[in-house]
Amino acid sequence: MASVQLKNIKKVYPYISGEDKKKNKKKNADEPEKKINLQITDEGVVAVQQFSLDIKDKEFIVLVGPSGCGKSTTLRMVAGLEEISGGELIIDGKVMNDVAPKDRDIAMVFQNYALYPHMTVYENMAFSLKLRHTAKEEIDKKVREAARILDITQYLERKPKALSGGQRQRVAIGRAIVRAPKVMLMDEPLSNLDAKLRNEMRAEIIKLRQRIDTTFMYVTHDQTEAMTLGDRIVIMRDGYIQQIGTPQEVFNHPANLFVAGFIGMPVMNFFDAELKREGDKFFVVLSGLKVQLDEKKTARLLKNNVQSQPITLGVRPEHTNISDKGVPAKVDVSEMMGSSVHLHVDADGHDVIIIVPILDMEDNYNYGDLVHFTFNGNVAHVFSKETDKNLEY
Amino acid sequence: MKTKKRSEFSKLPSGDKTLLIIAYAILGLFLVAIILPIIYIILASFIDPVTLQNSGLTFDFSKWTLTAYERVLGNSQIWVGFKNALIYSILFTIISVVVTLLAAYPMSRADFKGRGFFNTIFVITMFFGGGLIPTYLLISNLGMLDTIWAILIPGAFSVWNMIIARTYYMGIPRDLQEAAEIDGATEMVYFFQILLPVCTPIIATIAMWQFVGMWNSYFDAMIYLNSASKQPLQLVLRAILIQSQPEPGMVSDMQSTAARAQLAELLKYATIIISSLPLMIMYPFFQKYFDNGIMAGAVKG
Repeated sequence: MASVQLKNIKKVYPYISGEDKKKNKKKNADEPEKKINLQITDEGVVAVQQFSLDIKDKEFIVLVGPSGCGKSTTLRMVAGLEEISGGELIIDGKVMNDVAPKDRDIAMVFQNYALYPHMTVYENMAFSLKLRHTAKEEIDKKVREAARILDITQYLERKPKALSGGQRQRVAIGRAIVRAPKVMLMDEPLSNLDAKLRNEMRAEIIKLRQRIDTTFMYVTHDQTEAMTLGDRIVIMRDGYIQQIGTPQEVFNHPANLFVAGFIGMPVMNFFDAELKREGDKFFVVLSGLKVQLDEKKTARLLKNNVQSQPITLGVRPEHTNISDKGVPAKVDVSEMMGSSVHLHVDADGHDVIIIVPILDMEDNYNYGDLVHFTFNGNVAHVFSKETDKNLEY
Repeated sequence: MKTKKRSEFSKLPSGDKTLLIIAYAILGLFLVAIILPIIYIILASFIDPVTLQNSGLTFDFSKWTLTAYERVLGNSQIWVGFKNALIYSILFTIISVVVTLLAAYPMSRADFKGRGFFNTIFVITMFFGGGLIPTYLLISNLGMLDTIWAILIPGAFSVWNMIIARTYYMGIPRDLQEAAEIDGATEMVYFFQILLPVCTPIIATIAMWQFVGMWNSYFDAMIYLNSASKQPLQLVLRAILIQSQPEPGMVSDMQSTAARAQLAELLKYATIIISSLPLMIMYPFFQKYFDNGIMAGAVKG
C-alpha cells in the first residue's frame, strides 16, 4: 500500500550508433506514415514524455492506449525494468529512479505469465519469499493463503506445463500477491486468455482487489478492461497522456477526438458539422438538423468564449436515435446483438452506427431502407477542427 | 497402431508420400551403413582370426574365441588407462562445462559492455590457432608437461560450445529474468537457480560432446604425457595395437609374423569394443536430459 507519483517522466531509447540514427532518419523520410507511433528526435526514439500522474494509496489506475503508445514502457519504468530518462518516480514518498526492482517493494504480473518452468506452483509462489529469508512456516502460510484466494490450492504440487492458460495466470498473480507488495503492477495480464476466460479473470481481479487492498497499476489495450477495472483511467497516445479521469468522466467528457474514438464500444460516430452561436445559445447543425446544446455544455462553451465554427461532432451510437425526422441515412448492415441491434447506416458517405434497443424496434431493417436519426443536445460532443480538442474543456 | 499409421500415411498428398519414402530410404541406408560395421566388429572380435581371414564371419561357435579380450583385459596397463581416461573425461567435462556456461552468460546479455570486443577476440581463436610447436612450448613453459593439467586445461574452453550455449540462453524469454529480478533474485541467483535448470538440454549436450571428445582423444596425451601411469585408455590401446603389429624387416620367422598379424587384427576389434562400451552405456543416461519440453508452461508459447 503506497502512493505513487510520476513527475514529468520521460523515456528515450538512444540510438545505438550514429549510423543507426542516419538510417532511421532516411527510413522515416522514405516512409513518413510509419512515424505515427514514434517520436524520432536527435536524442533517440522517445517512447514516453511529459508523463505526470499522482496515484493515491490503494487506487486502481489503468493505463490504456493502442500498441506503441508507451503504456507498458511507463509500467516497466515504475517496476525498475527500464531506466528513467528524465523526471522523478516517487513511491511512498521516496524517489525510486535508481533503486533496483527488488528494493522497490513492487510485484508484477507479466502478459505471458513468466513462470519458472522447472519449479512447482508452490515453489514459484514461494520463490520471492525464500529470497527474502522468510521463515518456512510463514512462507507456507502465505503461499497457501494466496492459493486459497486464487482457488489454485489443488495445483500447488504441479508444474506450470500441467496447467491451463487461466490457471497459469492465476499462479502468476499468486506469485505477485504472496509478498503483499506496496504496488501491484500488471502488464496486460489477460490478453493471452480467450474471451470467456478473460471475462472471468476480469471479475476475479475485481474481487482480488477488494481482498488484497493495495495500489494497482494495470496496463491494457482493451478499453472494456480499463472501464471495468479502473478507479481512474490514463489514456495514452504516442507517449503522451491524452486524458486522466474516472471511467465515467472519460466516457462522458472525452478531452479530444482520440479519447472519444478510443473509449466506448462501438466507437463514437463522427460528423463534419457546424457549431452556431446565437447570443448565449449554441446549436449544432448537421445536414439540416439543428440541435440546441444543453445548459451545462452551453455554460462551458461560453466560459471558453467559443464562437461559431466548423466542428467535428461526436455522438455515441447509444445516444443516436432513430426518428421520423432528422438526418437521412440508408441502412447498410443490421447486426443482431441480442438485447439490441447495431444498425450501420450510410449518412452522406459516413458510416454511422446506431444502437436500437429490441424493445424500441418496430420493424426489421433491411439493406437500402431509408431511416432518419437524431440526437439530444446533452450528448453531442463538439471538437475543434484545428486541434481535435473538445471545445468544452 | 499399424492401421493408424497406415491411414495417416494414406492421407498425405502423393508428393509428400514420395518425399517421405525417399527420406526413409536414405535414412535406412545411413542406418545400415552404421549398424553393419558395428555388428561386424562385435562378431569379428570373438572369431578366431584364421577363420575370419579365410572364411569371414561364422556362427560356428567352435571357431569363436575370447583370446583378444583375454589379451587386452589381461594387460594391467589397460586398467590404469581406463582409470585415467575416466578421471580425465569427468574432470575435463566438469571444467569445460563450467567455463563455457559462465563465459556464455555475459555474452548473451545485450547490456554487457564490451560484448562486441570479447566476441571478436573469441571468434579470432576459431580461425587462428597457435600451432603444435608453440602450444607445446607454452605448455612446457607453464610447467604442465607430464601433468594432468596439460590434458585438462588447454582444450577446456571451446568457443564453439560457448556460442551454442550463448544462443540457447538468448532463446530463454527475457520475462523470466525480469520476473526473477522483481522477485528479488540477484544475477547469481538467476543464473544458478533459474537459468541453468532450464538449460539442462544444452548442458547435457555440451557435457556429452566434451566427455566423448576427451574419452576418444589420444593425441594431446601422446604429446604431453610421458609417464605410463598417466596415459589414458586410447593411448594404451594404441600401444597394444602397435606392439602386436609384425615389425617390418622381421621376415625370418614367417609363422610368427602371420600369427602376430592375425592377433593384431583380432585385437583391433576387441579394443574398439572395449573403448566404445562405456560411451554406449553412458548415452541412455544422458538421454533424459535432452528434454525439449523443459520450457513448456513458462511463457505463453
